[in-house]
Amino acid sequence: MKFPKTSRRKVVGGITAAMLALASGTVTAQADKPLRIGFSMARTGMLANATPSQLNTYELWREQTNARGGMNVGGTKRKVEFVIFDDQSKPDQAVRIYEKLITDDKVDLLLAPWGTPFHLAIAPVLEKFKFPVVGNTAASVALRTVKPGYIWFPTSAIPDRIGVELTAMLKSQNVKSVAVLSNVLPFTKEIKNFLEPELKKAGITVKVTAEYPPDISDMTSTLTQVKQANVDAVLALAYPGDSVLYAKQAKELGLNNPLHFVAIGPTDAFFAKAVGATSAEGVVSIAHWSPRAEWKGSQAFYDAYVKKFGEDPDYLNSALAWMSLEILETTVAKTGLDKEKMRAMISSTTFDTINGKVKFDGVQNSITPTAFVQTQKGKLQIVWPASLASSKFEAKKGW
Amino acid sequence: MTVLETLLSGQLLFAALVTGSLYALIALGLNLVYGTMRMLNVAHGDLVMLGAYGAFAAFTLLGISPLLAAPAIAAVGGLLGYGLYRGIFRKILAGGSSTTAVRLESNSLLLFFGLSIILQNATALAFTPNNRAYNYLDTVYRVGDVAMTGNRLATLLIAGTLCIGMALFLARSVLGLAMRAVIERREAAHIVGVNVDRVQWLSFVLGFGSAALAGVLVSMLGQFSPFSGFPFTIAGFIVIILGGLGNVMAGLLAAVLLGLIETYGVALTSANMRSVLLYGAFVAALLLFPNGLFARRAAAR
Repeated sequence: MKFPKTSRRKVVGGITAAMLALASGTVTAQADKPLRIGFSMARTGMLANATPSQLNTYELWREQTNARGGMNVGGTKRKVEFVIFDDQSKPDQAVRIYEKLITDDKVDLLLAPWGTPFHLAIAPVLEKFKFPVVGNTAASVALRTVKPGYIWFPTSAIPDRIGVELTAMLKSQNVKSVAVLSNVLPFTKEIKNFLEPELKKAGITVKVTAEYPPDISDMTSTLTQVKQANVDAVLALAYPGDSVLYAKQAKELGLNNPLHFVAIGPTDAFFAKAVGATSAEGVVSIAHWSPRAEWKGSQAFYDAYVKKFGEDPDYLNSALAWMSLEILETTVAKTGLDKEKMRAMISSTTFDTINGKVKFDGVQNSITPTAFVQTQKGKLQIVWPASLASSKFEAKKGW
Repeated sequence: MTVLETLLSGQLLFAALVTGSLYALIALGLNLVYGTMRMLNVAHGDLVMLGAYGAFAAFTLLGISPLLAAPAIAAVGGLLGYGLYRGIFRKILAGGSSTTAVRLESNSLLLFFGLSIILQNATALAFTPNNRAYNYLDTVYRVGDVAMTGNRLATLLIAGTLCIGMALFLARSVLGLAMRAVIERREAAHIVGVNVDRVQWLSFVLGFGSAALAGVLVSMLGQFSPFSGFPFTIAGFIVIILGGLGNVMAGLLAAVLLGLIETYGVALTSANMRSVLLYGAFVAALLLFPNGLFARRAAAR
């Protein structure tokens, strides 16, 4: 068989160019030396469905920054270009990618990957190359074991604090008995481990406690037990992958408990679409952000996100991603790209973000309180703690 | 709940039947393709996922009810199967000699594996890797103390009817008999004049079509992403191993059995035991009934 004559070099060159174009995700015209910012993201694999709210936020920021003429790097504005690699939902892959981004691609700045295990995995790489990264979508008590230095975690949704605050919220609503259902994935399992002792201390009876695997496809048997127990509150420590299943089957079985807490899922726009507005109404979840006047830029961020993507940002992950970008931007405007100066400034400055003031004590944000939101009339409102609340908690009225 | 209450619970029986009927429909297509061609379609779950996206797109973009869109989605799935068979698999099958037959198994496995990766990533490109779900037929019906959401009831009825229809087709129609003949004795069927080629493309069409249709049903129940097909492939595998590879009728019974084991097993132990129960049943079946739970002794070679 005869093939048309194409030199191998051309083909290889073409493929390489196509791959590069895909990998970088952005093909901008050569402005004078754009600022190259690298990160890895789970675009394929088990976690790919959780990452868009973070990646969208990054994209929105890049678009806005470039529209303003670029990122302020110590006084000069430079257009931003992303260098993105898919970590296939594998933390060890993320480690290799960050090494490569630093040593091979020689990017100017780095953004965080998605999720706790990925943040933890890349921390040693950042330490080794002394390359500061403001983390975002990571929450675990294990974060505190990370040596302070080159990574910071702005979230306040740390499981031990969630245990304390959730119990306090339940107390304030006069809850006497609960059912605790938990996905066995790390974040929710960790919450359960910290929550149950707190409930006990507060004199709240745990009438049903059950764990389930991430690939659960039917919750009838567990929820039947929950219904029979007739508790004041159901605490479903679910991931996005099973929060919808929980809501649909709670509706089928008619769980009419006045308080339904669903850990992860309801803050993402897809939840209400998937279960219907009536079912989503009144569900309590974890987030410490909502658009409000006193947090400068929060409403503008919300509006821009909705305009670009046609849905609400994730009140937890999108907000955290945006905060991390704000912190980086403020820092780089002052320090330029000097990594040591960046580290010193991030470690010691109080930053203004869309979530209010943020200051790091070691690796952790020491200002933002742990908070909970509830869907009310289709909008997420902060209902706990009282100091932050944008609305009062309302009992859930059926599904 | 006491053990007796659990066993007598109508709610659990309903859940078991919904799960079982869905497993049956998914395993059916997998088994047809395996039975007629001895090809294990590892992309089967991805076809289910594709069907789910078809229903999602029809519902959210065009406003068409998933149940009305279902026949069209099944037809597209079937067409994809036909195209693949004509375009790729028939050429490999045409090889003939025994060495290629051995190679065929590994080649087809690789091909299906590649298809799986392509389908997943193409879907991720087209729809983003976001979780997707929609709300349809969510009225809850109550019969006695059993509560049934409309979409779960529809799943049970549709999957059940299709499986029974398929069983009748295989048992009664000439084409169905030809199909079973190819499954049981391929060479002999060829000699007595069965059009093996036609049976093969038909099983591809039915296999792919039924998977896409199962996807429509799956999409009404919970949420899905481009990467949520694999568990369905696994469930399908377990069912057809329990029932006996290539034994379509037994596969249907095995699916219901698996639904019962899963639902009642979880109710009596814990949801964490789900995988242990599923794979436990699988290993036990392999050890105790290597030809399948319902294999006729005479048929055992």
